[in-house]
Amino acid sequence: MVDPVVHIANLTIQHGKDSVLQDLNWQIFPGEQWILGGPSGTGKTTLAKAIVGQLKYEGTISFHLDNNSSLPPVVHYVSNWFQFTNLEGDRNFYYQQRYNKFAKNDTLTVFAELKHFAKDEQLAFEDVAPYLTIFGFENFKDQQLIELSSGEHKRLQLVKALWLQPQVLVIDQPYTGLDVQSRKDLNQIFDQLADKGVSLLLISNDDEQPDCINRFAEIQNGKIVLRHHSREISRGIPRKRKELPYFLQQPPKISDPTMVKMRQINISYGEKQVLKNIDWEVKAGEKWLLQGHNGSGKSTLLSLINGDHPQAYANDIHLFGKKRGSGESIWEIKEHLGIISPELHWYYDMNANVGQTIASGFFDSMSLYQKLGYEQQQKLDQVLHFFDLKDAKHKTLGSLPLGQQRLALLARTIVKHPELLILDEPCQGLDKEQSQYFNDVIDDLSKNGQTLIYVGHFQSQLPTCIDNKMVLEKGEIKSVERVIHKKETLST
Amino acid sequence: MANYFNTLPLREQLEQLSHAEFMDNTEFTDGVNALKGKKIVIVGCGAQGLNQGLNLRDSGLDVSYALRKEAIEQKRDSWKNATDNNFNVGTYEELIPTADLVINLTPDKQHTSVINAVMPLMKEGATLSYSHGFNIVEEGMQIRKDITVIMVAPKCPGSEVRAEYLRGFGVPTLIAVHPENDPQGKGWAEAKAYCVGTGGHKAGVLKSSFVAEVKSDLMGEQTILCGLLQTGSILSFDKMIEKGIEAGYASKLVQYGVEVITEALKHGGVSGMMDRLSNPAKVKAFEISEELKDIMRPLFQKHQDDIMSGHFSKTMMEDWANGDANLLKWRAETGETAFEKTPAGDIKINEQEYFDNYTLMVAFIRAGVELAFETMVEAGIKPESAYYESLHETPLIANTIARKKLFEMNRVISDTAEYGCYLFDQACKPLLADFMKTVDTDLVGKNFNEGKDAAVDNAQLVVINEILRDHPVEIVGRKLRKAMTAMKAIKTV
Repeated sequence: MVDPVVHIANLTIQHGKDSVLQDLNWQIFPGEQWILGGPSGTGKTTLAKAIVGQLKYEGTISFHLDNNSSLPPVVHYVSNWFQFTNLEGDRNFYYQQRYNKFAKNDTLTVFAELKHFAKDEQLAFEDVAPYLTIFGFENFKDQQLIELSSGEHKRLQLVKALWLQPQVLVIDQPYTGLDVQSRKDLNQIFDQLADKGVSLLLISNDDEQPDCINRFAEIQNGKIVLRHHSREISRGIPRKRKELPYFLQQPPKISDPTMVKMRQINISYGEKQVLKNIDWEVKAGEKWLLQGHNGSGKSTLLSLINGDHPQAYANDIHLFGKKRGSGESIWEIKEHLGIISPELHWYYDMNANVGQTIASGFFDSMSLYQKLGYEQQQKLDQVLHFFDLKDAKHKTLGSLPLGQQRLALLARTIVKHPELLILDEPCQGLDKEQSQYFNDVIDDLSKNGQTLIYVGHFQSQLPTCIDNKMVLEKGEIKSVERVIHKKETLST
Repeated sequence: MANYFNTLPLREQLEQLSHAEFMDNTEFTDGVNALKGKKIVIVGCGAQGLNQGLNLRDSGLDVSYALRKEAIEQKRDSWKNATDNNFNVGTYEELIPTADLVINLTPDKQHTSVINAVMPLMKEGATLSYSHGFNIVEEGMQIRKDITVIMVAPKCPGSEVRAEYLRGFGVPTLIAVHPENDPQGKGWAEAKAYCVGTGGHKAGVLKSSFVAEVKSDLMGEQTILCGLLQTGSILSFDKMIEKGIEAGYASKLVQYGVEVITEALKHGGVSGMMDRLSNPAKVKAFEISEELKDIMRPLFQKHQDDIMSGHFSKTMMEDWANGDANLLKWRAETGETAFEKTPAGDIKINEQEYFDNYTLMVAFIRAGVELAFETMVEAGIKPESAYYESLHETPLIANTIARKKLFEMNRVISDTAEYGCYLFDQACKPLLADFMKTVDTDLVGKNFNEGKDAAVDNAQLVVINEILRDHPVEIVGRKLRKAMTAMKAIKTV
């Protein structure tokens, strides 16, 4: 009989008092290509981390790797979140850091990172080129890691994994942040890897899967449950719509009919121009969709509105009726808006508990540093209740599944009921049910005159309230349009 | 120029040394108003200069940078830092005459030449700010009488000043007004507004004086912060090699050990650090740290005496004039030590192991922190100032050793600190020679608890715990840490 490549027996893992995995047994045989799906919070990421030895566990996990194969006998893991360090080996970054320029490099460049990886894994540097092309990294080589967006970090990790071609490849959410074409390309590579003898384990609920996938599973009650097809894998329970807390049903206070006014915005880093001649106005009550490929300048544009970009001082920008650089502080700007983005999530203090996380929205800080007043306490409790996060109030953010972390950060953006909401790919990493729930909340808020800027990829689910759309391409405005037939326009 | 402190009568010396008041939040309700609409010109655009400027601008203030002509023409890093972040940059001649507040954030050693260049250009009644008082107190720089002289000194590296600000917090900051230069009585209002502009008011502000800042800062950096960390690291490493501990392990234990151990100081002071040890190890660490205190006390006192008399700054300035001959020699010697030259091994050492296998360093830290604190307080410095310059800063400096060993520590700290650190190290090593002969691998390199009975005497443990917790550095520390509870952990390995 053939030995399983991965053999897991009686695996038990606990987070504090709760057991996530309980006497889990699983075998992965040569030639099997797995999808592990199922709702958020069932223990998928925990299992993947245990397999690669990043978590302590009870039970046994053994591997039968082939030392005579041309593929390196390693188990490689691509996490959902890539954690890099700076040149001094620590991770004490802040999320606006990529906009602040310091002559000395803080982190490695993409090129140096790949060189290191080649040296550590004894890979030929020439072989990486095709993967760089597929993921659009040719022009990124000299960029520092700190300057990449979270989507770009994910792709850089994929480049390394595909280049390495390990005997077992575990990827948590391989498609996050990828556009349609990149997904197709990636699936083709997965098929090629499978042909070469790589065992794949993909954690994903995506509909598009590589052809090579031939086994399906999910985790229920801490144990592996086999399925015949991905259609059989459970979905999360659709969440019941609840009425918004009373204070969020009131229209927000509007400080000026024109919230954002930008004229001829130009932003460049050295030779590289990131935004070119942007003119844009956001009026109170409008709901904008902002789209564009990775690197088209969306996040930079939003950082100008949020007070996070130093070059805002050299551009003609009016925010909430005041000219930028006329003696206002960034905290005065942030008071008007609530923001969420994958990057903000990445940098947020994972040691803060859920209650502190949401309450930090009152002060726009990245953890809670101040005491709450009575009214703020009340609002916090209402929001916790609304998002079903009451039980998690005292748990640290880092101990929760990604989906719940996102919900907490969404709650953080609305708890002070700001006049402008900036939601930059808020559903990245959420499953379908969570995304739907999330967008329903946005639609409910929008009925009360909420102004909105929403960044979503072309394929992602979007709230129905969107009434304006702007598309960026290579730092320039490609199109601006009013969205009339909402559903039709958005589904293209 | 004469040493300013030495020109003062004893009564005035004592008065200025004793300035140390932890400021209440309510003192900062006026925000940045005292500087609103005024023109702020920062001289120097390194890590402190750039990051403080970014914070001040983001607080709604008008900031530009004055750089030397050569720095602009040759597009040096300081010029790039300022222009890449869209600041207005100009020469001294162009910008200083327009400034209401000139902030000097150049390295200490350049202060005399910078101030000599800047002062004649400053407009009548403007304000000059320092982040360290060496130039005023030790070099005796005389500032024009119409100019207000203040100090705002964030007690963290520049990158932290920026990072904490953007997180919505700040870093602990010390502020002062020079009594000889406050003709309009606006000094405190402007120092407070500047402090708010950098976010410092959220993390605890100590109202100090130029004299208290200099005399305590010099003492701390020479003894516990840099000097003893260097001596302790080198001696510990050499001992492990002598006793046959694997070099890669020894190097890693020393390089990262100080950081992990002093992280405990940040949360619970000296007693918090000692509590990380098993009971028998705590008793042992207590005993040897008592011994270390006895051995090193005269050296700590000599350093404090030389700082007070001005002897230290005088000899150091002589070395400056001599092309840094001593500094460069000592720097090279440090680079040649076995610890510096042995890379840390690729071995996993878990957090508790750093305590269990490095009890010697715990003893060094306790002895050094308490001695520095005691010596400063005996010399007339207030406990609050002494706390900042001993216990509070130790983890920050230990962090630099974890990065790239002693080289990194000595590169990051000021020239003054580096000079004082070597001076201490030269004297301390021979002093500890006999003591080190008694040290074996149970104190450094191997688990102290291995093969030992975990029993301790109740009464003895109670006495030791009381002595640790009742030390004045713990009493003032508890009070000050409460005000800084929200301060984020600086880093994780």
